[in-house]
Amino acid sequence: MALADFAVSLLTFVAIYGLFALGLNLKFGFTGLIDFGHVAYFMIGGYVTAVLTMPAQVTGYDGLGGYALPELLAVVPGGDVLGWLLGVAGGMVAAALVSLLVGVPTLRLREDYLAITALGIATILNEVVRNETWLFNGPFGIRTVHQPASAAFPLGLGSFILNLVVFGGLSVLVIAYAGYRVGSYVKDVDTTGAALGLASVLVLGGSIGALTQGGPLLFVGVGLAVAGVAVLREAVRRSIEPERTLALVVALAAAAWYFLQPLLAASNPTVTLQTNVMFLFDPVAGPNGGLDYDRFFMLLSLAFLAGGYWWCQRTINSPYGRVLRAVRDDEDVPRALGKETFRYKIQALLFGSALAGAAGSLYTIHLGFISPDQFGAMITFFAFASVIIGGTANNAGVVLGTAVFWAINSGTQFLNDYFPSEYAVKLAAARLIFIGVLLIVILYYRPEGILGEQDYDIRLPGDEPAPSRDDTAAAPGGDADD
Amino acid sequence: MVDTGLLDALAQGLVTGSIIAAGAIGLSLVYSIAEVPNFAHGDMITIGAYFALVVNRPDEISLLPGLPGGAVSLVVAGAFALVAAAAFGALYELAIFRRFRSKEADLITMVIVSLGLALVLRNLVLFVAGSRNISYETAVVRDVNWDLYLTGSGLTVQRTQRQAGDIALLGEWGYPVWLLLGILAAAAAVGYGVYRWRSTDADFRTVHLVSPRVLGVLGGVATLLALAYALRFDPQGTDALWSTRIGTSYKDIAIVVVVAVAMFLLNLVLKATRLGKGMRATADNMDLAEVRGVDVDRIQLVVWVIAGLLTALAGVLAGWSASNVNPNMGFTLLLPVFAAVILGGIRSPYGAAAGAILIGISMDVGVYLLPSGLATYRTAIAFIVLIGVLLVKPDGLWGDV
Repeated sequence: MALADFAVSLLTFVAIYGLFALGLNLKFGFTGLIDFGHVAYFMIGGYVTAVLTMPAQVTGYDGLGGYALPELLAVVPGGDVLGWLLGVAGGMVAAALVSLLVGVPTLRLREDYLAITALGIATILNEVVRNETWLFNGPFGIRTVHQPASAAFPLGLGSFILNLVVFGGLSVLVIAYAGYRVGSYVKDVDTTGAALGLASVLVLGGSIGALTQGGPLLFVGVGLAVAGVAVLREAVRRSIEPERTLALVVALAAAAWYFLQPLLAASNPTVTLQTNVMFLFDPVAGPNGGLDYDRFFMLLSLAFLAGGYWWCQRTINSPYGRVLRAVRDDEDVPRALGKETFRYKIQALLFGSALAGAAGSLYTIHLGFISPDQFGAMITFFAFASVIIGGTANNAGVVLGTAVFWAINSGTQFLNDYFPSEYAVKLAAARLIFIGVLLIVILYYRPEGILGEQDYDIRLPGDEPAPSRDDTAAAPGGDADD
Repeated sequence: MVDTGLLDALAQGLVTGSIIAAGAIGLSLVYSIAEVPNFAHGDMITIGAYFALVVNRPDEISLLPGLPGGAVSLVVAGAFALVAAAAFGALYELAIFRRFRSKEADLITMVIVSLGLALVLRNLVLFVAGSRNISYETAVVRDVNWDLYLTGSGLTVQRTQRQAGDIALLGEWGYPVWLLLGILAAAAAVGYGVYRWRSTDADFRTVHLVSPRVLGVLGGVATLLALAYALRFDPQGTDALWSTRIGTSYKDIAIVVVVAVAMFLLNLVLKATRLGKGMRATADNMDLAEVRGVDVDRIQLVVWVIAGLLTALAGVLAGWSASNVNPNMGFTLLLPVFAAVILGGIRSPYGAAAGAILIGISMDVGVYLLPSGLATYRTAIAFIVLIGVLLVKPDGLWGDV
């Protein structure tokens, strides 16, 4: 499998779980509700969308539906996608409605009671889906998940050259833009940090190279790895702005992995490099090459993530969002100012759950089938880890945290190749041990996460002329977010 | 032929409740004294059960390669698990929770920290032992059935056992109606008498080692059993108006007794020692206790050690009771344990014990009362009880005392 395919799969995962974690961040980060049952809404969104878009009378399925919305709307142009979007909307509404039913009794409880009751309700809902075959086919799950617009793919625009120029050019543009953004951020790194960071990347690269050769070089590799980690530690310690040094190291390592490693390792270097650079263009898809469905689905998921992100940012940067944060910080203050805080909490729960529902719809398509086993409580805990690693109450941080989490959890899958296959379970456990330790370490040393709480661009009342700061401090809701 | 009924469900619920109680008391201590809503408690239970497996089934988990000749009995393995889990309890406090306490971490942070610890512990188990089901190496314990027949002339009791597919009669006796009523009356009288004897001399400063109510119930039950054993008469026939079967085994009785002894020992520590006084003071108000010279760090360490001991106890008993140890067992126990603690009001280990018995009984009686298709919702019943109680009394049944 080319690296590009793996990166596409990873990005899709990050987009889906990022959307899921954004919903959690709305509840936990901004409103202070510890919803340990977040995965329930992910599950409901996935199942409801799958059932709404599935054709009726599927063999091997004994649950409700399917209601075949895309086929019903096929008479309208674009009805296939429209039906699917309606299905997603249905999943989001269903998730929100269930969270309303859960929230009305539980949101009046203390925060720790809320956590355990939410966890309990999510576990019960999972049991219900597993045991009631008439509902969603019980433990056998759904195997016919509708893929929107799948008939149009692989998408070709005409001649080979046109496809190459459009899709390949688009890929190059995306990579160039990402490189530009990262470059302009790491440009200001101090010299010590840059030198030590570069050295650590080289040493670690050498270590991986030696490790993959095996034999006596294995010991050299381990030694180099230890040295590389030491150099990296020194780089972070000595540099003036450790964030920039770390970003440089990550960017260099990612670039080396993505662009240099194929040249060294693969049997067919130029083709592999070409696939990596023009990651959107698949030369063997269709008669003249084109965009395959996995790539399209990644773009679709990223579009959903962007939409969710935009929407969360708008909400949080509005007066409404300020009330949510006030509820989180001290519920008595907004209540004293005449806000019905319970209503705000319920609404935050509804919106967060709807986002989880949308993420669930995408998740079912990415996996191609769903069963209750995929929606264990661990998924919620993963999202909590992502939120806290990236930065609680920071939408960009949540997406970053999700990327870090999945980079650790599935980005290190390639390590499996160097161990006997029976160690796969052990490696998976070791990754999660590492993430658990990382979670505790981050909470201790940097409880606000990598990025910390975000800035809010809200103009507070009495802020414009600002003759004296005392006025703003005394203004209602002036909780120092200027 | 007699069927199991409500009495059997009650007895089974008592056993389930005892296992939950072992977990719930530890959780309530950690909750009230260390102020950590410990979501890792379930995985602490799992790891306690696996400690026993390390020496009980060295063929399955080869962690101690030097172990000569393999398995030791479950009792020794349980003792090993207690020691190891106590050490781990101290480790959690020293490595994690003491540091966070010194930073004055709030409740939400503690929840997330315990979540991280849960992730580590669960995957540690998966890393070492894998995800398969393992059971303890123990002697086979056969169920003994107590069949009760209520006839017109009295009560007949048959002790039966299933041996090689057939029901064998181990013993049969009975009580006439007048004796039955007499025994019940005597038991009630003794129970009430004990209660009055212990509670009349109490003023507001009296600290009872065992509360008069509990002593009263125990006295009544002891009288009932003693008289019923001593005054066995001839059987009164088996053409019954009402008959029922209670299935028990020495395993069930051992579990209830072990948990009861553990509860009594903890009670002794809490009420009769300076350490216990310090623990209760810390639970009430950590800062005030510190001002009055209580070494809070030491108290916290002791609390985590006790919690470790109790989780190992709960884990080994749960694994023995179900004849199955797997990495998920603690998580399935976590929900009922939390339900019990919240039901009893988080500040009191006594409330937690009572809540645990209540949750255990409601789970098993609920399964008995519901149609058989709903039997898989055993844990859900615990939760529905909890949510129902919280809606009426948001601080739990016994409040924040």
